[in-house]
Amino acid sequence: MDLEASAGVPARQLTRRGFLGAAAGTAGAIASAPLLAACGSSPPVKTGSTGASQLAKVLPAYIPHNLSGISPDFASINGSEPGYLSYPATLVHTVSDIPGSGGSYTGTAPYWGSIPRTSGNTYYQALNQALGATLNLAPTNGNLIITSLPPLFAGHKLPDWIDVPTWAQPPGFGQAIQTQLADLTPYLAGDKIKDYPNLAAISTSGWQQGVWNGRIYGLPAVVQAFTVGVYLFYRADILQKLGLGTPSIKSAADLLALGKEVNDPKSKRWAFDDIWSYLYQPFGIPAGAGTTAGWTTNSKGDLITTYETENIIEAMNWERQLFQQGLVNPDSVAGTSSTAKNRFWAGEMVFTSDGPGAWNYADAISGTAANKGYVRMAVPFFTGSGSGTPTMPLGSPTGYLSYFNKDLKPDQIKELLRIANYLAAPFGSYEYTLVNYGAANVDYTMTSSGPVLTATGQKDVDAAAAILLISPNNVISNPGYPSVTTSSAQFAQQNAKYAYKPLFYAMNITVPNNLTTANAFGPFTNPTNNIMYEVVRGRSTIADYQSTVNEWLRNGGTKLKAFYETIRAKYGTA
Amino acid sequence: MSAVTGKAAAAAAATSPPVRGARGVRGDGIPPGAGGSGGSPPRAIARWRKKLYRDRTLIVMTVPAAVLLLIFGYAPMLGLVMAFQNYDLYDGILHSPWAGFSNFQQLFTDPGFWQAFRNTVELFSVQLVISFPVPIALAILLDSVLSRRLRAFIQSVVTLPHFFSMVMVITIFNQVLGGAGLLDTFLRTHGVTNPPQIMTNPGLFKFLISGQLVWKEAGWGMIVYLAALAAISPSLYEAAAVDGANWRQRTWRITLPGLRPIMVLLLILNLGYALTFGFEQMLIQLSAVGPSAAQVITTFSYENGIVHGNYSYGAAAGLFLGVTSVILILAANKVAHLLGEDGLYRNRK
Repeated sequence: MDLEASAGVPARQLTRRGFLGAAAGTAGAIASAPLLAACGSSPPVKTGSTGASQLAKVLPAYIPHNLSGISPDFASINGSEPGYLSYPATLVHTVSDIPGSGGSYTGTAPYWGSIPRTSGNTYYQALNQALGATLNLAPTNGNLIITSLPPLFAGHKLPDWIDVPTWAQPPGFGQAIQTQLADLTPYLAGDKIKDYPNLAAISTSGWQQGVWNGRIYGLPAVVQAFTVGVYLFYRADILQKLGLGTPSIKSAADLLALGKEVNDPKSKRWAFDDIWSYLYQPFGIPAGAGTTAGWTTNSKGDLITTYETENIIEAMNWERQLFQQGLVNPDSVAGTSSTAKNRFWAGEMVFTSDGPGAWNYADAISGTAANKGYVRMAVPFFTGSGSGTPTMPLGSPTGYLSYFNKDLKPDQIKELLRIANYLAAPFGSYEYTLVNYGAANVDYTMTSSGPVLTATGQKDVDAAAAILLISPNNVISNPGYPSVTTSSAQFAQQNAKYAYKPLFYAMNITVPNNLTTANAFGPFTNPTNNIMYEVVRGRSTIADYQSTVNEWLRNGGTKLKAFYETIRAKYGTA
Repeated sequence: MSAVTGKAAAAAAATSPPVRGARGVRGDGIPPGAGGSGGSPPRAIARWRKKLYRDRTLIVMTVPAAVLLLIFGYAPMLGLVMAFQNYDLYDGILHSPWAGFSNFQQLFTDPGFWQAFRNTVELFSVQLVISFPVPIALAILLDSVLSRRLRAFIQSVVTLPHFFSMVMVITIFNQVLGGAGLLDTFLRTHGVTNPPQIMTNPGLFKFLISGQLVWKEAGWGMIVYLAALAAISPSLYEAAAVDGANWRQRTWRITLPGLRPIMVLLLILNLGYALTFGFEQMLIQLSAVGPSAAQVITTFSYENGIVHGNYSYGAAAGLFLGVTSVILILAANKVAHLLGEDGLYRNRK
């Protein structure tokens, strides 16, 4: 089990649900409500936002690790994830004592895949023994988590430790934060985090996302500085076979021309998947899929949403050509995104858009199984017009934050934080290896290219749940597949310089109940039938699109914009 | 005619031919006209008790189903009050602020809702016209097959798709009729540059879903008609044959009238599902043909209520749907009574 693999599974989910997440991430609040929760008689505080000065007061200190023997082969440049070609031969310990004191806790996290056995599970046994506590991990179906979390909160039936993905926060989450989840500020603010060195090594932007109403509540998992929602991937081997070499795509016109060249429906090969989620990059649409919010400013300096920009219309007009000219795989036209990876592996389409997490060794295994010589590569960022510098809006630093139940006693919180510290051990350490691969010689054997799961390990190891509760900053590592690491790490190194932080980056904003509908951006974010989806397929027109925008503005959109203006005035935009 | 009516209606409930049912048409063993109005209260109560005692076995048998219905059908309906609230997840039903009819006002001015309503009516009507007669035809056809073994075989084959999930049915259809499916691939390799792409054609969608429903459910729906057919006395056919009636006349004069009550009953029940029909089928195919063709009230309610977290709005759409369905059923039942059919229950004079 590898970080990329675990992050890779939900990647497509993130791209599809991106805006939904952004929307849910900003749920339920009263802007004018006071920040301090102390006044007993005042109505409950529902605002999630925090200004820069208060942030500075509570954010934990950042103390990166400097472990001997673990240095990346591809260093972080402009925030790109470090890449490791090999796994350390000697495992360094980062936690000296047994973290737990015999407590027993329940934890839930989203999970994609078949759930491993619980009784007699060698991985859980090894993990709990190392933790000195019992952590009962109950993975929940990741595909259903958007609908399964709200009842848990409504019914006040939270486990001790719960993962709430940023894109699956129940409406009005800011309220639940205060009433049902534990305030971790007293344990983690400023230098207090030094008690937990592995937590202190998690990037500050990740912690910033865990701050609600000026207090720390959330523990960030799989944090990335260079978080990009989507890459434009292509089948390098197919282009090679067609004698096209490495493509040089400098504009949208280049991409279209190359697409026409490789399109061959007769031999069941189309040029494109529905690459809408990627077009935010070349067309400079102010927020990419999976970011905190789609906001920017117009020429007058007023806030507008992504959907009111010219860029999005340009992008729609461009992608519509792909559909009109039959360059899109029919199953992508039909919107069956669940099998998009299979189509890409089978070579039924040459270009696809997917999360960066899709670029990993598991993908190489599946791709090679379908097509010998399978190579996944990504198109370097470019501009639609072909001129100017490409830009890429950053996504939220993490899509996954976990929270403690408010009913826990201080001693229990401390014990869980020590456990979290263990789980957040950095790549290549002894603890990291145990959390990700289980017990040595039972669940995995160490080879020259790194840990390899045994038959038992493949059955029992379920690191994804633990990883999504808390984990170190993300790294790129694909044991046994150095070429995948090389190409993806180099790509990140070369393209991270184009990234920028959009408005309200890493901020938690909760909107009042009456704006929930407007803030869901329903017509634009429905995974199955949003208006852009319809326009590019030629079933709706740009005029329809514009009337949808106007209708959204009438039905609360204008009020929502006013609300965000107050947030901007009060807390700033980052 | 009336004798056949009673028989077939009972056949809907039990597959054994009710010809031998000794308890008369109403099945209560009490002479018609004895119940209902008239008689002093104590006598009425006594009679009611007597009936209760007589039907005790039947009542005990229905208790589990009734309890299930109460818990999972009626109790959750209490939650519908949220349609009149601005429901807040954390305050719950008890503490959420009241909103009067504002959710309904919003609903009735929402073009998306009316689009969903129109689609629901249109898809349901087309689907009904196409798929309702198929099981009847299939039953008549199969009834004429003499070999028992062949009959059992055909029946198994056509019934099987009923047990497939909708996801699977649609996947199979996509594999055959989709843009990258069997049909289009075949056409493409034979020189057709623009094959039809049936799965993503909004105009054909109503016929597509009817086709899916026929393939999945026609065999299953046939079973009830087969039972009803078995209840028609062979002597009727013999007599008709002796009088020189041909196959078509026998079908028209004996078989179809014999099936009419069950057809009416199923039609009314079908109407009850008119507005809730096809949730899964539409949800899965929404992205293939778009909301202008496939958004129905149930998917509308799901999207707004569950996905976007606007529970009150979703509940309002759901309540509208429930009320309209009840009205539809009652109206259809009334029409059936006017036409002299039993409908859902026998109309007391």
